[in-house]
Amino acid sequence: MSQYIYIMSHLQEKFGKIYDKYIEKIYRFVFLKVSSQEIAEDLTSEVFTRGWESFRQEKCDIKNIQAFLYQIARNLVIDHYRQKGQAQLVSVDAFPIIEEGAGLEEKIIQKSEVDEIKAALANINEDYREIIVWYYLDELSVPEIAKILSKSEEAVRVQIHRALGVLKSVMIGLRHQS
Amino acid sequence: MTEKDLIRQLKELKEIKPRQDWVLLTKRQILQEVSVNLPEVHTWAMFQWKLAFAPVVSVLIIIGLFGFANTTVPGDFLFSVKKATETVQVGLSTGAEKSEVHLRLANKRLEELSEIAGDNRVRSLAPTIKEFQDNMIEAVNGLSLMDPSTLKDLVKETQKLEENKQKVESVLGVQIGNDETEQLEKQLADYLIFDLEKRTLNEEEQKLLTEAKEYFEAGAYTLALEKLWFLSN
Repeated sequence: MSQYIYIMSHLQEKFGKIYDKYIEKIYRFVFLKVSSQEIAEDLTSEVFTRGWESFRQEKCDIKNIQAFLYQIARNLVIDHYRQKGQAQLVSVDAFPIIEEGAGLEEKIIQKSEVDEIKAALANINEDYREIIVWYYLDELSVPEIAKILSKSEEAVRVQIHRALGVLKSVMIGLRHQS
Repeated sequence: MTEKDLIRQLKELKEIKPRQDWVLLTKRQILQEVSVNLPEVHTWAMFQWKLAFAPVVSVLIIIGLFGFANTTVPGDFLFSVKKATETVQVGLSTGAEKSEVHLRLANKRLEELSEIAGDNRVRSLAPTIKEFQDNMIEAVNGLSLMDPSTLKDLVKETQKLEENKQKVESVLGVQIGNDETEQLEKQLADYLIFDLEKRTLNEEEQKLLTEAKEYFEAGAYTLALEKLWFLSN
């Protein structure tokens, strides 16, 4: 029994570090896919609960924990929308993102830019959105994204390039509209 | 709009962060909840597992214990287990066999002494010598109970014992159990001579017996036993 407790505490410590490292990324990834802070918190919590279960059962023998967590997050978001019978949309107004300490004018500009990019992301397809978030926000490398998507690195590079092009076009379109 | 502007704008989304109190609370809940609840299931599962295999495990432990104890020498922690099995062995033997069993055990102690001396385990020397001497005394005491026709079986064991004793003495540089060994050889030779004198012997056998008696009279009991061994076989 003492050996079991020792193994458990060792696994807890290791998974605690994984949690600290990925919680913000996974939360952001989920948040940009769902419509509220509350849902993002619930789904992210579920991602790590399932991650911990698997980690514990596999005795931390999970080859790529990052890819594994993102995969759980993707599946949970898909399930969430399937249950709700809703399409995936990014909420532009769901969460105020203003840097602390910024002046009023800066805040307004920043808010406007953040809303603009969020709105643009909401208008591109899911695959492009994911790849942009991973590459530019979460700063995953091309090989890491290739592993998550089970694609070749070359295919991922091409997709990043295309996604950025599409996002740029959408942004220009939104600016013209406003 | 350049790509650079777009990427800069994208990076602003990094400000999307979860609430710090939620982050801490969730971490605590996930890790503590599982660690508190699941072990109970595991404890029960482990208990059931233990219960199911308890007889097998017990037998394995006992076999392992006796197996391990068999490699111990006097002075070791588990020697008492080995000693207990030897006591049972002696207890199960008939009065006529006791002497032979003790002699075998004495030989065993000598072999252990050889190992002990080789490993320089000084602490085990005294108790092993003591065990050897005790077995020798018991072997001598048991001689009178033996059937004269089976006495010759002891001669070979006694010769082996003499060889082992000499080996150990050369390593240790001291003599051990001389009195007991001499007493055993003397008594054994005496009984054998007495037995053979009552038998009808041919000329060659008579000659061997005479030589054995001469050695016996001179106190050379080991040599007397050698002659008696030839005579008996």
